[in-house]
Amino acid sequence: MSAARSSMLLAVIASAFAATLAVAQPARPRPPPASPREAAPIDLTGQWVAIVNEDWRWRMVTPPKGDYASVPLNDEGRRVADQWDTSQDGRCEAYGAAALLRMPTRLRIRWDGAERLVLETDAGRQVRNFDFGAPAAAAARTLQGQSAARWVTPPRNTGGPGLAGAGGGPASTGGYLEVKTANLTPGWLRRNGVPYSEDATVTEYFARFAAPNGDEWLMVTTIVDDPRYLTQRFIVSNHFRKEAEGGRWNPRACRAAS
Amino acid sequence: MSRRSAPGAVFGVLFLLHCAAAPAQTNLIGYWNPLFHEDVDERIPGPSIGDYLGLPISDAARLRAEAWDASLLSMPEHQCKPHPSTYGFRGVGVLRIWEDRDEDTQQLVKIHTHIAWQEQHREIWMDGRPHPPEYAQHTWQGFSTGSWEGDVLVVKTTHLKAGWMRRNGLPLSDRATMTDRFHRYGDVMTHVSIVEDPVYLTEPLVKTNGFLLAPAGTMTPYPCEPVVEVVRDPGLVPHYLPGKNPFLSEFGERYGLPREATRGGAATALPEFAETLR
Repeated sequence: MSAARSSMLLAVIASAFAATLAVAQPARPRPPPASPREAAPIDLTGQWVAIVNEDWRWRMVTPPKGDYASVPLNDEGRRVADQWDTSQDGRCEAYGAAALLRMPTRLRIRWDGAERLVLETDAGRQVRNFDFGAPAAAAARTLQGQSAARWVTPPRNTGGPGLAGAGGGPASTGGYLEVKTANLTPGWLRRNGVPYSEDATVTEYFARFAAPNGDEWLMVTTIVDDPRYLTQRFIVSNHFRKEAEGGRWNPRACRAAS
Repeated sequence: MSRRSAPGAVFGVLFLLHCAAAPAQTNLIGYWNPLFHEDVDERIPGPSIGDYLGLPISDAARLRAEAWDASLLSMPEHQCKPHPSTYGFRGVGVLRIWEDRDEDTQQLVKIHTHIAWQEQHREIWMDGRPHPPEYAQHTWQGFSTGSWEGDVLVVKTTHLKAGWMRRNGLPLSDRATMTDRFHRYGDVMTHVSIVEDPVYLTEPLVKTNGFLLAPAGTMTPYPCEPVVEVVRDPGLVPHYLPGKNPFLSEFGERYGLPREATRGGAATALPEFAETLR
């Protein structure tokens, strides 16, 4: 077979596949873009409980004053942390956006309309709003700040051949939620007053997965950037197990600064 | 073109279509430095004796751990043990990840992970092969197969040797299995391990911890030669008989934590347990 004939054969085969795809996908009017709620690659809604099996003694109880092990504080951060005393235990600064999900808490996540995810905690009775779309106008600083959200959906692979789904069923498409939070009031990375400043920004990644026993898990990777008190990014991850709706929910308020 | 080239061309077109439909695969290749912003006490100096906070351990696990004596690690047989793969990603040491691809097809065959400390080398088969029968050899790293969930690498590991879930004597049995996940967010990678053990856990143990990409990373060898550090009578194995370990209460006393907390168990990881401590 000549090179010309082989090229022709390849072209014919390719055309046949293209024609097949064209038949399978007739031209239609392009639908309007999906709302963030409709476009969600994963469902984060429902009630989740923190499973605290990491940093237990810094999260489940208030650690001693000056115990800021493993937090990359600079000298100024340590100076501020050393000003904390036990009379401040339980204050709302411990429930700010940078550390709220470190608390032993349950979460309730729900949609408010098509472009806002709402996350509530029973610990400290806090509410965070994750807004998709255009950022809201600058408002006063708050403990939870302003959060801009977007879905990150992995592109389909076009160049790196591999074995999709090898070892177990069809592969899921994955995806996660990215949330960037700023406009914060100062708060604490730990309940014993380890500080973050109003200059801090928080980037979070929310992913969901199933365990082999069927449990559903939410994992949140949190990156705190604070040029005032940290020498490098502070990076932790928290995991939450899905619970039945209407399960245990124990709202308990934090103490506002006097 | 030979007579065999026409089927080859068909295969080529089908192959390209297959690639277009494959899920995204994040590039995990490179050097990764472990982040110690969490569980630093456990992971750098090592956990305290009797610290089982938040861990869903069984009574059998607690009994084994309470009999453990740290002097065990000075015995020649124990000096050069690598961490089992169920623990290694929480230990110290740079992590390197690379892949093997078939030279002809460029199909991904295997992903390697290598952690510097005690040269923990793990092979993750990506070619769809099954796990071997139960009677096959059990090793520190076990037998691992991987797949992609979107851009997340998901690995299932079986055939593990009896190991540990924490370096203070908390054991894992050779019936333990692990599912671990590698989530990449730019230069940050979050590793998730889900360990199941019908002997020493009452529910799956889920842990998450971070790595930071090190573009200029390097790795040095970690040779280990056991030596006699302590002269002992033949046959002596350091241990404590039940109820005789004098160190179990030290950790709780140091931090003002009650024994029912430090003894661990699944309930100690739940928010309502914190309420009992007030």
